Formats: sequence, C-alpha cells, structure tokens
Amino acid sequence: MRSSVALWLRVAFSRAMIRVLATYGDPLWIVVNVGGPLLTSIALAFLYKFAGIPQFTGFAILGGGIAAYWGNVLWSMAAQLNWDKRSGMLYLYISSPAPLTALLVGMSLGGILGTLPSSLTVLIIGTLLFNPPFSPPTLALALIFMLTLLALYGMGIALSSLYLILGREAEEVNEALYEPVSFLSGIYFPSIGRASPLPLAIQAVASLIPLTIGMDALRRAVFFSEGVGELWPSLLTLAVMAQASIILGLKALNYVERRGRVTGDILVALR
Amino acid sequence: MANVEVESLTRVFETRSRRVLALDNVNLEVEKGEVFGLLGPNGAGKTTLIRILTTLLLPTSGRAVVGGFDVVKEAKKVRGIIGFSSSSERVGFDFVTARRNLWFFSQLYGVPKSEADRRIEELASLLEFQDQLDRKLYMLTTGYKQRLNLARALINDPTVVFFDEPTNGMDVFSAKKVRELFVREARVNSRTVFLATHNMFEAEEICDRVAIIDRGRILAVDTPENLKLTLDKPVVMLETDVAGASVGDPRTLDGVVGGTVKLDSESETANIRVILRDEDYLDKVVTLLERRGVKVLGYQRLEPTLEDVFISKVGAGFAERERSLEV
Ligand SMILES: Nc1ncnc2c1ncn2[C@@H]1O[C@H](COP(=O)(O)OP(=O)(O)O)[C@@H](O)[C@H]1O
Ligand SMILES: [Mg+2]
Repeated sequence: MRSSVALWLRVAFSRAMIRVLATYGDPLWIVVNVGGPLLTSIALAFLYKFAGIPQFTGFAILGGGIAAYWGNVLWSMAAQLNWDKRSGMLYLYISSPAPLTALLVGMSLGGILGTLPSSLTVLIIGTLLFNPPFSPPTLALALIFMLTLLALYGMGIALSSLYLILGREAEEVNEALYEPVSFLSGIYFPSIGRASPLPLAIQAVASLIPLTIGMDALRRAVFFSEGVGELWPSLLTLAVMAQASIILGLKALNYVERRGRVTGDILVALR
Repeated sequence: MANVEVESLTRVFETRSRRVLALDNVNLEVEKGEVFGLLGPNGAGKTTLIRILTTLLLPTSGRAVVGGFDVVKEAKKVRGIIGFSSSSERVGFDFVTARRNLWFFSQLYGVPKSEADRRIEELASLLEFQDQLDRKLYMLTTGYKQRLNLARALINDPTVVFFDEPTNGMDVFSAKKVRELFVREARVNSRTVFLATHNMFEAEEICDRVAIIDRGRILAVDTPENLKLTLDKPVVMLETDVAGASVGDPRTLDGVVGGTVKLDSESETANIRVILRDEDYLDKVVTLLERRGVKVLGYQRLEPTLEDVFISKVGAGFAERERSLEV
C-alpha cells in the first residue's frame, strides 16, 4: 500500500517534470500560449469597458488567467491517451507498473506549471491596464479552486478513456466541443446567475459542467468578497461533481484497460 | 527454474470481418540467462505472443508465467520485472534530453534516483552514447535514438526483457552493437532475453535456442545447430535462366519437399532453392525443369540455414508465407 502510493507520487512527479521541461524547451509554444489568452482578455476587457459594463472587465482578466489552466486539465488530458497510443508510449506505460492515473494527473499538473507564464502575464498586464477590484484570497477561493480542479480531472480521465475506445474521430469531437463548452462555462462572462445573458434552459445545461459552477463561484469570491457562508451551495455541488467524476474516470480507465487486453487494438495501434 | 513458461497458449482475434487464430496451442520454456529467439515470417504470431507475455493482451486460453508470476492474475508483478522494446514505439519526449528521458522511464518503475543515475551512465557507456546524454532527443540521429530505446528497456534491471524486431531498420553497425548487448545481458547479468525476429541470420548468430513459429504454431524448438542437424535432407541451389522464375511452387517438382524461387533481374537468372527428399532426386528435378523449358545453368549443394528448416516443415519460405497471408 505504502509503496504503491510512493510509486504513484513518483510517477506523477516525473511526468509533470517532463512536461514542464518540454514546455520550456520549446520557446515558440510559450509565445503562442501567452499571446492567445492575453489578446482575448484585453480585447474583451476593452469591449466591456466601452460597452458601459466596466464591472465585467475583471471577469475578462480572471478568465484569461484561468483559461489555459482549464484547457490543460480537461482538453489535453482528454486527448492524451490517444496521443500516447499513436506514439507507442501507451504500450510502455501499460507494460510498466506505473498507474495511468498518475501519468495523466502528472501530465496535467505539468501543463498547469507550463502555463504559469501565460496566466501571470494576463493577470499582471490586465490588472495594470484595467485595475479591476480583486478581493484578497480566502478559504472559499482555495476550496473552489481545488474542487473544480478535481472535478475536471475526473472528467478529463473519463473523456480520455472514452476517446481511446472511440478512436481517432473522437478527437475531432473533442476539438469541436472546445469552443461551445468554453462559451457555456462562462470563462469570460457570467453564463449562469442573474447577470447571465443566456436563457434559463441553456443556463441549466451549462450548470452540468463543473467549470461553470467553478467560474461562477470564483467570480463571486474574487469580485464580491463572498465567503463559504454564501458560496456553500456551489461548494457542495462542486464536491458532488468532483466525487462523481473521479469515480467515473477511474471506472472508465479500468474498463479501457480490461477491454484493451481483450480486443488487442485499443491500447496499441495496429500497423 | 524457467523464467518464461507458456502452456497451451491460444489467442484468437475476432473482428467484424474475420476470425484469426494468432496463437495455436503454444508451449515454451525459457531459462534464466538464455537468449531465446522466436523466428517466423510476418504474421506468424510473434508480436501477439510478446504482447501476452508483457501483459498487454489476454490469452484466449492457456497459461503464461513470467519470472514466476502469472501474466493474467499477477499482471502488476510481471510489469515490475520486465523490460520491452520494439522498433515501432516512440523513444521519448523530443524537447527533453536523453538523460531526462531515461530518468523518466526509470521512475515508471520507481527506481531510486541514485540507482537510476548509475544505470543511465552504465547503459550509455555500454551502448556508446555517453556524449549524447545531455542532448535533446530531437537532436539525436536515428541510430542513437534506437540505442536509447534499448537502454530504456533495460533501465529497470529487468529479469526478462522482450525485444520485438529490435534491429528492424537499423544500420549494420548499430545492429551489431545491439546483438552484442543482448548476449552480454544474458551472460553477465543473467537476464532472459526474449527476441522476436524474422531475421534468420540474427537468430542463428545470437540465440541459444530458437523456436520456429508459423501461423501461430511452434514448429520446432532447439539450438540453431540442432535444428539444422535434424534437417537431414540435401539443400540445393539451382541457377537457371529467367524462365525459372515462373516455375511456380517448387513442390510441384517430384522429390522436392519445399523451396523458394527468386529472380535475379540484374544477371537475368533465377535462383531456385530446393530441399530434396534425398540426393537421388537432383537429376530428376533438373530433367523436370528442362522439360518445362527452364535452362539449368548450374547447381550447388548448400549448408542448411534456419529458413531451410522452416521450408522443410511448411514447404515454403518466409516471403511466400507472407504473401499468402496478404489476401
Ligand atoms: N488486434 C488484432 N486484431 C485482429 N487481428 C490481429 C490483431 N493483432 C494481430 N492480429 C493478427 O494475428 C496474426 C499474428 O500477428 P502478429 O502477432 O502481429 O504476427 P508477427 O508479429 O509474427 O508478424 C496476424 O494474422 C495478424 O493480422
Ligand atoms: Mg510483429
């Protein structure tokens, strides 16, 4: 038991480390990843400012700071196993004692560290330009962050397994989903709640995505100083979502491995 | 004690369009410190067997034990004591140095840092790429990447190490180095080296024992010398004019157990290699060929190779066997 926890940590750490080294080893990647969210945030912040809703500028800056994170947690995790399969790495992973969850989580943590320059740049430049009214960090903020992260990890692992079974076409589905899900989850504007411009039915759909709940709660904590007292329904929802998605993710991963060993073509690409 | 034990192992692949019997009642035992070769044409079932032994695939029936652990019931334990490499998987991460890549793979097995560092140096010096260790992967030549891949397979000090066509696409020099390494790992470190190959020369040169496999069945297992000794039939190479290239299956010639036909377009001749039931059939085969309009320019008795052993069992050579699978 103790040694398997130790192995899990070792594997996750080394995978994260490799991801960080690879990221900083490729300067072009950093430029692209700093540039994208920065431009989007600043454009939106100006838009909000001149449209007469200056209180939204902060949302745009926070969104730009967080966009790369969630992209890493959910989308790159979801595509990861397929990518590993194609490159032949999945075979090496499966035939070693390393747990796949550790590899996925490590990869994603490394990705988060790799997007740090991007997030910090957006937050610093955005704050200097627009000076949005951030509240100081609180316990509620930390909890929201953790729970959202866990829920997205679970989803990432589940999607990764699903896409591995469905194969190549699934990746196109993944890409096609990126924009609408980003929009619904309200990274740059409130997609749920009283300030949301969306009809209630769409808000209901959006609320099924953990990121939507997380972003909404994050904004309330950061800009309206709400604490655990006010935010507990969101925290509870996130906790349930996190638990459910992690259980689902682990089940899916187990299923894929078992199924792969039966059919022979899920885990390794045929020549 | 045997390090690899395979008992009545069968594997069937069922896809929508067809059913393939990839392994048919395979039985094998491979000892500690042995270089063991699985020799057969493409499609024979080599990769399938290795995938089962490396816990990536479940058998349909039968049993396999690696290093004392059952590959189905104790897969996790098996994974801790094996190494694997083929010519097809990715070597590692392009933007990371060779050393870091090896370190990463050592962590998949939970190898402590100091031990990992020591093994990386040792393997790099054995495979002669120390000066490449601190270069990023994308800067390495193919030859160095291939060596790195072999080092990776040995990074966890495995009891049994599996190589699936490891020298495919390798330059002659690297391939030689690699073969030396296999023998060394078996002799010096008492590892079991399990090698799948369709290269007879390779099997003959480095394997202590060879299993000849065709269409999922093991046809013979023995030392290369004994395999050739058991073939007590004459092997003859007939050189003919180009008409010889179109004689078809040599087995249609009376007294021929099996053979291969190759056209040498440069010298405008054909080489017909046949295994005869016995010496007396040689004249008859020559006469039969001439009757079919093939001019025999000369012939020569040859030392048998492992492919001849294969031909004597299935009637055809590797190339013919591979072609027959492509329908
Ligand atoms: N996942 C799979 N699904 C269906 N057929 C397969 C699969 N893997 C291998 N086969 C078939 O099994 C047979 C043995 O293949 P393989 O083990 O790859 O042979 P070798 O490695 O000797 O070339 C071939 O006919 C191949 O097409
Ligand atoms: Mg093969």
